[in-house]
Amino acid sequence: MPLSVRDLVVRYGATTAVDGVSLDVHRGEIVGLLGPNGSGKSSTLAAAAGNLDADSGTVTIDGQSRSQDPCRFAAKVGFVPQDAALYDELSASRNLEFFGQLYGLSGIELDSRVAYALDRARLLERSGDRVGTFSGGMKQRLNMAVALLHDPPLLLLDEPTASLDPASRDALFADLHRLRDDGHAILLTTHHHDEAEYGCDRVVLLNKGKLVASGTIQELTRTPSDGRAVLYGHLGELLPKYVERGLRQRLGPDVELEIIGHRVRLSASGNEQLGRALGLVLAEGMQLDTFRTPPGRLEAVARS
Amino acid sequence: MPAPKLSRIAVLAAKDWSLFWSDRRAAFLCFLVPVLLASAFGIIFDRPQSTGTAVKLPLLLVVESESPYVDQLAQAVVACDRVDARIVSRAEALTLVAERSPGVAVVLPKSFETLATWTPGRAGDRPRMELLHNPLCTMEAQWAEGVVTEVVLRCIAKAQLGPLVSDTDTALTLPFQSESTAIHGDTQTEFNPYSHSFCGMTLQYLLFWGMESGLLLLRERNRSLWQRMRSAPVSLTEILFAKALATATIALLLIGFTFLMGNLIFGVTVNGSVFGFVFLAMAISALAAVTGLMVAAVGGTEARARSVCILVILGVSMIGGLWLPSYLLPGWVRELSLAMPTTWAMRGLEGVAWQGRGLIASLPSLAAVAGFTACFLAVAVARLVSNESRRRRGYT
Repeated sequence: MPLSVRDLVVRYGATTAVDGVSLDVHRGEIVGLLGPNGSGKSSTLAAAAGNLDADSGTVTIDGQSRSQDPCRFAAKVGFVPQDAALYDELSASRNLEFFGQLYGLSGIELDSRVAYALDRARLLERSGDRVGTFSGGMKQRLNMAVALLHDPPLLLLDEPTASLDPASRDALFADLHRLRDDGHAILLTTHHHDEAEYGCDRVVLLNKGKLVASGTIQELTRTPSDGRAVLYGHLGELLPKYVERGLRQRLGPDVELEIIGHRVRLSASGNEQLGRALGLVLAEGMQLDTFRTPPGRLEAVARS
Repeated sequence: MPAPKLSRIAVLAAKDWSLFWSDRRAAFLCFLVPVLLASAFGIIFDRPQSTGTAVKLPLLLVVESESPYVDQLAQAVVACDRVDARIVSRAEALTLVAERSPGVAVVLPKSFETLATWTPGRAGDRPRMELLHNPLCTMEAQWAEGVVTEVVLRCIAKAQLGPLVSDTDTALTLPFQSESTAIHGDTQTEFNPYSHSFCGMTLQYLLFWGMESGLLLLRERNRSLWQRMRSAPVSLTEILFAKALATATIALLLIGFTFLMGNLIFGVTVNGSVFGFVFLAMAISALAAVTGLMVAAVGGTEARARSVCILVILGVSMIGGLWLPSYLLPGWVRELSLAMPTTWAMRGLEGVAWQGRGLIASLPSLAAVAGFTACFLAVAVARLVSNESRRRRGYT
């Protein structure tokens, strides 16, 4: 198993950014770390990449932790920062050469891998041009190519689509799916539900540093057998019982409201009823930090 | 992290060289600017010592008496070969002195008429000669006072001795002669005024180059590039060592190029030990590189670091005698300057460049520069390691 994170805790002073998160990423799968801003996604990713020291917990890649052998640990990771981490003043090929050499590549092997990376990133014709002249999409492709140059088993991407237009985003996920099919393990952070839905095989939901839910998209978005529309959410603050009772009365008998701790499940006989119920729930002041529906349902609910 | 690997240090340093040469025009200017600065300073402070002609002090003379005697004194001053004097009105003198063109005027007052009948030991008020000078020309004012005093005394003596001796010119000849000799150091080599400017301006520019290198490191640390570098199998020691190596080697190249241009254009030579010059150049290059690390270590943000650096570099350049020779500076500044690495670097460079000092004589300067470099390095590395540790704990 390329990446295994166990009971990870990261604190910034009095603030706990990651609170006991455990997750695994296997070869041939894309795992999305999903959550709102400040949920601990980037901190988890930085700790996995070895860029951040955890207060407690372990991060291992193929069973090896960073403290055992930092160089070997680093060689197993391809880290793609949110911004293009490239030297604008240098050409695409020089950037690739430099980072390849840092990972110990040289000679014919380096040349062939640089050529392959440029080809894969569709940048062969611009290989001699300065990176500063590239578009955002080209920079992001090169950014990923740099991370893949030393052929790491694990690829970590921090908000990879943050600065991309929809076409570039689709192209990026097409590349990620190819890499997954080649056997890479991929962990990425996003706060876009739709990206997690169509781009990731598994999703880990984080909120306020805690793992809220994890599983495959199918598991998390299981549709009830009776065909009812369903929505899962996470409460920012616990509701007083009398508010919950009043809300149930207003929702009526056709809408099911299930609250277990911070977790909320709302279901109705159809999208239209679910949309109306969601509007009522939000109007009552219920603070839903995150909510999700089965694939495609969110748009349907919003439309209704 | 394991022990630093030379191959990775070489890769990192080569990257910095690539970045330096990536903008060819900027690199060209980097070499051109110290040569231009040194040439400009050399031209401004050049004195025609080698021609053998005495420098004449530009002087204004205000004559406030119409008596033939005072006019005779004025003509004697005008005729003196040590000043370039012309007679003007008081109003004109005030305007011209204020504009520093020239900076000194001497007023021969009406009371100077009494000097015609002066006798030794005569009691009463002595006539008062007035000196008008620009605030920036106190030295020139003293010079003018001395010359005019000598001329007036000669005239008085001539009048007094006239009845006693047949040839007053012979009688008034100074009873001694003076001779000036420039002391050049270990070898009797001729002073080249451009040597000072090339040593000083090269040193100053190297400090600015060190600053630029430090700012580049700050930029890298504040961008996601640093995250990528730190997730690669590279230690902080390797990154810092490579940065210093690249900065120092480029600095060494800058010194070589600047002095080569100085030699080709103005005849600046290394009259002393060549090995001393090479060792000093290497020590000074290392100092520039460590200055860069210091900038990155204590600079905070790029904008803040740039402002503070410019202030510090200009300050230590001025106090260290990089602009003007240190003997022109006040005593307390000269004492303070001993605590500046620039002072020792300048002494060493000037010593081997035009004073013709040998390797042994250069050792104190060399040791001082190396000592400052080691101290700065220790502070910079300690601070950068601490910063990195905080960064790894999530503090930015």
